[in-house]
Amino acid sequence: MIKKLYPYWGFLFLAVMLPALVNGKDYYIYATAESEDEVALIKFDGKKAHVEKRIPVGVWPVEIEGPHGINISPDGEYWYLSMAHGIPFGHLYKYKTGTDEMVDRVELGLFPATLQVSHATGLLYVVNFNLHGGHDEVSTVSIVDPEEMIEIERVETGIMPHGSRLSNSGLKHYSVAMMSAELYELDAMQMSVTRKLSTGKKHQMMKGMQHHTMNKMGKHSMPKEKPTWVYPHPNDQFLYVVNNGTDEVVEVDIGKWMISRRFATDKGPYNCEVSPDGQQLVVTYKTAAKTGIWDIKSGKELGRIKNTRKVSHGVVISPDSRFAFVSVEGIGAEPGSVDVIDLVSMKLVDQADIGKQAGGIAFWKMEN
Amino acid sequence: MMTQSRKCFTFILLITTLFSNDEKGVPEDSLYFQFNPDSLYLEVGDSTVVTIRLLNEGGELSNNPFYVYGGERGTVSTYPRISDSTGVAKVLVKAFKPGDLTVNVRSISVKRNDRVRDEMPVTVPFPPIARIEFDESVYRMYEGTSLQFSATVFDEASLVRDDAELSFSSSNISVAEFDDFGKLTAKSTGRIKVSAQVENVTSTVDVRVVRNPVRGMELSSALDKVRTGDVIHFTAKALGRGSRAVEDAPIEFSYTGIADYGIGLPAAGQISQDGRFVAETAGLYTIYAASGGYSAQKSVKVVPRDVKREVELIGFGLVPDYYTSDLWIWPGIGKYENKDFAVTGTWGGDGNAYFWDVTDPSAMKIIDTVKVDARTVNDVKISEDGRVGIITREGASNRKNGFVVLDVSDPYNVEVVSTFNDDMTGGVHNTFIYENHVYAVNNGRKYDIINIQDPAEPYRVGVYELKSPGHSIHDVWVVDGIAYSSNWTDGVHAVDVGGLAFNERNMPMIQANPLLARAGKGSTSNPTPISFKTDPTGRNHAAFPFLSESTGDFFIIAGDEDFPHGVGATKDEPSNPRGGFHFINFNDPDSPEETAIYQVPEAGSHNLWVKGDTLLAAFYQGGLRILDISGELMGDLYKQGREIAFFISAHKEGRLPNAPMVWGAQPYRDIIFFSDMNSGLYAIRIGSKTKEESD
Repeated sequence: MIKKLYPYWGFLFLAVMLPALVNGKDYYIYATAESEDEVALIKFDGKKAHVEKRIPVGVWPVEIEGPHGINISPDGEYWYLSMAHGIPFGHLYKYKTGTDEMVDRVELGLFPATLQVSHATGLLYVVNFNLHGGHDEVSTVSIVDPEEMIEIERVETGIMPHGSRLSNSGLKHYSVAMMSAELYELDAMQMSVTRKLSTGKKHQMMKGMQHHTMNKMGKHSMPKEKPTWVYPHPNDQFLYVVNNGTDEVVEVDIGKWMISRRFATDKGPYNCEVSPDGQQLVVTYKTAAKTGIWDIKSGKELGRIKNTRKVSHGVVISPDSRFAFVSVEGIGAEPGSVDVIDLVSMKLVDQADIGKQAGGIAFWKMEN
Repeated sequence: MMTQSRKCFTFILLITTLFSNDEKGVPEDSLYFQFNPDSLYLEVGDSTVVTIRLLNEGGELSNNPFYVYGGERGTVSTYPRISDSTGVAKVLVKAFKPGDLTVNVRSISVKRNDRVRDEMPVTVPFPPIARIEFDESVYRMYEGTSLQFSATVFDEASLVRDDAELSFSSSNISVAEFDDFGKLTAKSTGRIKVSAQVENVTSTVDVRVVRNPVRGMELSSALDKVRTGDVIHFTAKALGRGSRAVEDAPIEFSYTGIADYGIGLPAAGQISQDGRFVAETAGLYTIYAASGGYSAQKSVKVVPRDVKREVELIGFGLVPDYYTSDLWIWPGIGKYENKDFAVTGTWGGDGNAYFWDVTDPSAMKIIDTVKVDARTVNDVKISEDGRVGIITREGASNRKNGFVVLDVSDPYNVEVVSTFNDDMTGGVHNTFIYENHVYAVNNGRKYDIINIQDPAEPYRVGVYELKSPGHSIHDVWVVDGIAYSSNWTDGVHAVDVGGLAFNERNMPMIQANPLLARAGKGSTSNPTPISFKTDPTGRNHAAFPFLSESTGDFFIIAGDEDFPHGVGATKDEPSNPRGGFHFINFNDPDSPEETAIYQVPEAGSHNLWVKGDTLLAAFYQGGLRILDISGELMGDLYKQGREIAFFISAHKEGRLPNAPMVWGAQPYRDIIFFSDMNSGLYAIRIGSKTKEESD
């Protein structure tokens, strides 16, 4: 019997070990729990995801301060966290990765949200979402020196600026204004807006028109597109803007500064990310509670994976373009989740429960 | 201004330089900045050009670009913000604020640790001092007396300069001489000039020292035996020849005392310079009044206040799964007319509000649960007629927070009537119901006033929002048409939202409340501010009006919330807050004054309620505290033996076991109900008098 198996031992060995060889890496992800005032560090070994650590954040035990945006410094030594609620202004916190000890914090504007550190300028750019009120006031992007933790500039953009990311060169900052349906390009070095573009169907160059003027023109009407996210392609030639209100992702040609393609999605697309190899676009569908995987070249949706909770939120993709980690909020007391999706098999691999209302998510490191 | 093509060219150069440097592995730690000039002195609004170079260790241009920015936002502007590719920048620096500021520079490199940083000091002086104004214009002193001098310093921007180092001097120290703290003592008769000086600016005032006519003192009080916490008014008279009163003689009060108890316990109290004295410990006190070398004294006996009572736990309703938030108790209506009910919220949970039958407080039970899309139901309120309930929402999954209107006429079957979330995405933290309107604290920025006459169709009728920079609000409470809000740094605000109509029935209330006497212009659609008192600590979290039944004084009691040890306290560990309750006398709405404070050492204040002259104070980890606030209020109420009782609530099966965390209380009939965040709903009763502990 054993002899009979000899010819197959190699095959058996490969069958057993191949997944380990392929996935023999550990992935570490930080994710926020907005209604828990907590950040979770999740480790995924290629098969199983589990919470390594839960880090309480904030200073008011009986007020929810709302950790929202999170990102890692380019050298991986620090993570930065935006805390949405304050009295009334929110804060940016700085923590050391690994030890997760708080280093410093700085007060910013109303409801600071998504953020990123430019590897070119070394500065941190964070939008002041200003979720509050009637959604008729323009808001800003705060620029912070993350070493000194001081806010050095505040650049006015649109109404409720949300998703924001830097180009891969680190020289351009892109954000979308949810309630004025605009894509903003900010020169990361000059710290000023260089271009803006309507994310709606009647898109046009919008140079020079000030929101002050718009406000004086009468009551602000909400755009139907409600863009919530923007992500640059690794080639820095295209941007992908999520129009949450019209169930689509639009591709923007950065050079021509116009919409080049539109991808019709499932209900309520919210965040997106392009895989580092530039092949796939992963989009969270907040209303549909699913995650879509798109082939960028063909513009076809390759897969649509049901998430483990009802409100899909953020997504981050591993540097090897193999796995997408999706934060899923949940409802009420339901724990949030980080769902791990294999971008090759297009299947949910595992999930890890974190605190309530999982939101911001950032990839820390990958280890062999 | 650079043209577009020049900008493009510059960037290409920069990027090329940036990445080529990295590839070559330029030792960036050998780079250094050279500023020309090496420091700046600018007036506010002035600008100048600085040349900044990034050099290598050989003193040559580094060919490495760098950033330029002016320290903290809004202090110094710099243009351009980036050097050219060789490492040179001619930067226009403009100052916007006074102070010791900086222009900061940092080299651009891919690796964070390779970056070289430096800064150039920019001194921006405060505007020059313009004038000094004495707080009194005419000075006349009696020989042998002392007077505290004060003056206000203004700069050329007409701003009050509290930071200025003000000094006083006398033109003739043999007549009168200052100590180091601005107190002038008159030694002999004569005329002097008193100078107040800051830098080169001086202001003078004439002071005349005249012969002191005082030849004796009298000191009296209506009482010579009081309890701790009772304020005694002493009347002192300076007497001249023939025992005639010298009305303008300055009189200084002081006291000594011996405590009844033990060795080391001080005879502690407080005396004001208008002759009011209050003792914290029982004992024998002697009060002194002095003027011009003459003094009089009077001793008073202070006995324990003797207000302590037993407290009896009547009932407890455990809430084990979620943190409990606010509560409200009300009498049933209709078929439930003879029953009593309670509602409690939940914090950081599943959006539940629990409805309780508390008719028998010893057997309180949950009879219905309303679950809404929220994580926190922070506040719960029931209308006066017992028909409408309001619960707040924070953490809704669709971010449409706001509040939910309930029909609570049958508390066994509470029904959701409507929701209101228009313009409330950031969450509603607290509400109050008053005359068919909901006052909803919206996003921590303002309160909206929503008409709920038809609970199914609520609509907004008014908004009240402060204009101060960075304003924020926490809570609002409405009594007799005055909305009392708590606003962190902006303190307590009293706003007329439809004060009582001026008629015979309302006359006693209007006459008793000086704020009501000023009402009449406001309404729900036109909330009109009446008075306020700011809180420089920024901790104002609660505001409750208090008309003293025993004195007629009108206060707003302002509660703190303060978590100095708060970082990480949400990790299922007991919290350790601080803070207290400030008694702000609003008898004169133009000049409200804090006269007393109640703070429990090592505990943190939260919500409060006043019934009669008794304060029910939630003190988080310090439990529920019940305080006698009768009589005139002055000084430290905790130390005056005014605590009637306290109850430390905790339960081993609580959401956080064995950790008291009292949220708020409400008196109802002869019971006090209160909610504890970590364990649930409690009912206690004040019992018989305890054996007084010695003070």
